[in-house]
Amino acid sequence: MVRIRQALLTPLIDENPVTFQILGICSAVAITTSLYSALVMSLALTSVLAYSNVTISLMRRHLPRSVRIIVQMTVIASGVIVVDEFLQAFAPETARTLSVFVGQIVTNCIVLGRAESFAAHNRVGISFLDGIGNGMGFSLILITVAIIRELFGTGSLMQVEIFKPVIDGGWFEPNALALLPPSAFFIIGFIIWGVRSWKPKQVERSDFQPLTDHEMGHE
Amino acid sequence: MDNESPLKAIIVVAATALVCSILVTAAAVSLQPIQQAYQDLERNRILVRISGAGDAVDEMSDRQVIAAFQNLDARLVDLDRGVFDETYNPNTFDARKAAAPQQFTVVIPDDQDVAGLGRRSSLVTVYLVQEGDELQRVILPVYGQGMWSTLYGFIAIENDLNTIADMTIYGQEETPGIGDRILRPDWQARWRGRKLYDEQSVFRFRISQGDIEPDSPAAVYQVDGLTGATVTINGLMNVMRYWFGPHGFATFLKNFSTTGGS
Repeated sequence: MVRIRQALLTPLIDENPVTFQILGICSAVAITTSLYSALVMSLALTSVLAYSNVTISLMRRHLPRSVRIIVQMTVIASGVIVVDEFLQAFAPETARTLSVFVGQIVTNCIVLGRAESFAAHNRVGISFLDGIGNGMGFSLILITVAIIRELFGTGSLMQVEIFKPVIDGGWFEPNALALLPPSAFFIIGFIIWGVRSWKPKQVERSDFQPLTDHEMGHE
Repeated sequence: MDNESPLKAIIVVAATALVCSILVTAAAVSLQPIQQAYQDLERNRILVRISGAGDAVDEMSDRQVIAAFQNLDARLVDLDRGVFDETYNPNTFDARKAAAPQQFTVVIPDDQDVAGLGRRSSLVTVYLVQEGDELQRVILPVYGQGMWSTLYGFIAIENDLNTIADMTIYGQEETPGIGDRILRPDWQARWRGRKLYDEQSVFRFRISQGDIEPDSPAAVYQVDGLTGATVTINGLMNVMRYWFGPHGFATFLKNFSTTGGS
């Protein structure tokens, strides 16, 4: 029971793949301008993650060390193609806007990271839950960032108007910066800052301590 | 077997590749009909837009789009004879899927092949927009070489068979931000009301690369070009030149305006 809860819940905050491990940043930056694409991306990544964790856990006793990465990549890539085919069939317009970013799930470090560090050493059931948990952790950040960006960038959420923009006679001046990639960095940065102030355990020891004036020989 | 032996590695890699490829193929093949249905719907939406619905098509449900599409009168045109062909079903005809595709293949003579097509089908599906018995527009498919890609589009012409009512490009892979500005609605809107042929039936339409003098008699045949997108624009101009030239729709249009296409 404890392990199940751990597998599902630690990736949400304590070991969040984005804010703690700083993985999967590229897609978090690229597709968070709208909540809808963030939701689709979350779903896509979570299903790939669950599928690749289960498959790699199933083969973990028969995975020669010399070829394990390429075998894991093959499994992940096939999962991504299947997800992409599904998107093209059932959400073709979203598939078009997300196109390259869905393909990029192949190189998303979260997926290979979980395969290599968890699924390759653990049983199938718990690996599945780990995949779902990490997918949810990624989704949580993605959705948070997307809500902030879409709301402040356009004044609406899921195309539903929340703040009435000035152009339509309202009061809200859309912030164009929110729609540009750097804003995702700022928002993720603020989230990381917030989480690490709340849970100082997550703060890494710095690799490098600058010398003090005294040590440098200055008075 | 030892997990680290080369044989084991080969077996595992081969088995993974086999299973994964089966999985990918199964997904691609089983989902293809649904993907195709969406592509067809998308195409229908484009046709309904250019048939006169304009931006109202964005508010239409899938069912309304299909209903509006079915109101269009699809016809096969025999380009060389310039008449409607009644032998095949225009909605399903696809020269590439025909039993003997070569019977529909027309090799375009080099001196006529301004759009770089090489060959085309002898039968082409066009759409007549009718209100009651009255012809409103004719929608003609065009395509040809742009800078990097083949440009696919539709040109809708008014019932005088000479004035451009609307145009759209629905397939292209031109340079983002430069050549792909041919997709911009405000630029495409400039095509509306331009004329293709003069009184002597000479093809006069031009996408101009310089200033257009609005008062000059030539202005009605001219659309402003796009600065920086010269190669794409030249490609598009050649597409127009070919498809509205003697090897394209010119014979049909002339015929249709005098006899109603019979």
